[in-house]
Amino acid sequence: MSAVLPTAEVPAADDLLAVTEDVWLALLGDEAVLLPRAVPAGSPFDAAAWSAATTISGGWQGVVTVELDESVARRLTTRMLALPEAEEASDSDIADAVGELVNMVGGNVKSLMPGPSALSLPAVAAGRAAFASDAALACRLDLAWQGDPVRVSVHVPQEGPR
Amino acid sequence: MKILIADDSRVMRQIVIRTLRQAGHGGHDIVEAENGRQALELVRTEAPDLVLSDWNMPEMNGIDCLSALRASGSQVAFGFVTSEGSEEMRERAASAGAAFLIAKPFTPEAFDDALRSVI
Repeated sequence: MSAVLPTAEVPAADDLLAVTEDVWLALLGDEAVLLPRAVPAGSPFDAAAWSAATTISGGWQGVVTVELDESVARRLTTRMLALPEAEEASDSDIADAVGELVNMVGGNVKSLMPGPSALSLPAVAAGRAAFASDAALACRLDLAWQGDPVRVSVHVPQEGPR
Repeated sequence: MKILIADDSRVMRQIVIRTLRQAGHGGHDIVEAENGRQALELVRTEAPDLVLSDWNMPEMNGIDCLSALRASGSQVAFGFVTSEGSEEMRERAASAGAAFLIAKPFTPEAFDDALRSVI
């Protein structure tokens, strides 16, 4: 995690981790163990196949993103839909599941921050998430689920003249 | 009992149905809607006993759907299942006439507690 904006109110990494672990546990039960993963600051997510973003606007402004390795996204979707092991999740199912994941993490981040604010519908991409050029990284979690990478980030608007 | 589940995510509708079952509320007649507008229409045509609705949805969100239902005179039991569980959202839900708000991620116990209040 790296705090870029000392003046802006940002969620604590521990809080973001607690929220992410709660969501993961609710979706995956016993297999929910997320391990920390050491990634140098500033490194792009090395395996992003699916990503999703949701924007919080109002009393607090920020963007919450989730980036997942392809196999994590597929296994997560299979578990969320309770599909038989042999059945492949479709791309639209994966987009739906990954969007719901960021919605849950984002909704809970929103509850941690000053309000009132509104949460946008999730935007999902097959590939890396896009960020507004005026957004700065405020908090980042690099995790591994069953050996594959997961990243949760919070971006906030950059302060000062542009 | 007929339960209308309104959520734009098919994955989440599935999870809600599964959690209802795990909470001991399986066997109900389930109707699904993809947004608030469809839910509003289905309350008229299907006459459910309970609506379980997401908050953020395209076309019409859950709180606007609830307000439209109450404005039309419908007193159908209505609960939110949403990722937004802050006190502010709970107050908005209650003042619009919602019976409960279940925050995502949820447990079967949270569903059982909420449903007991309306069944």
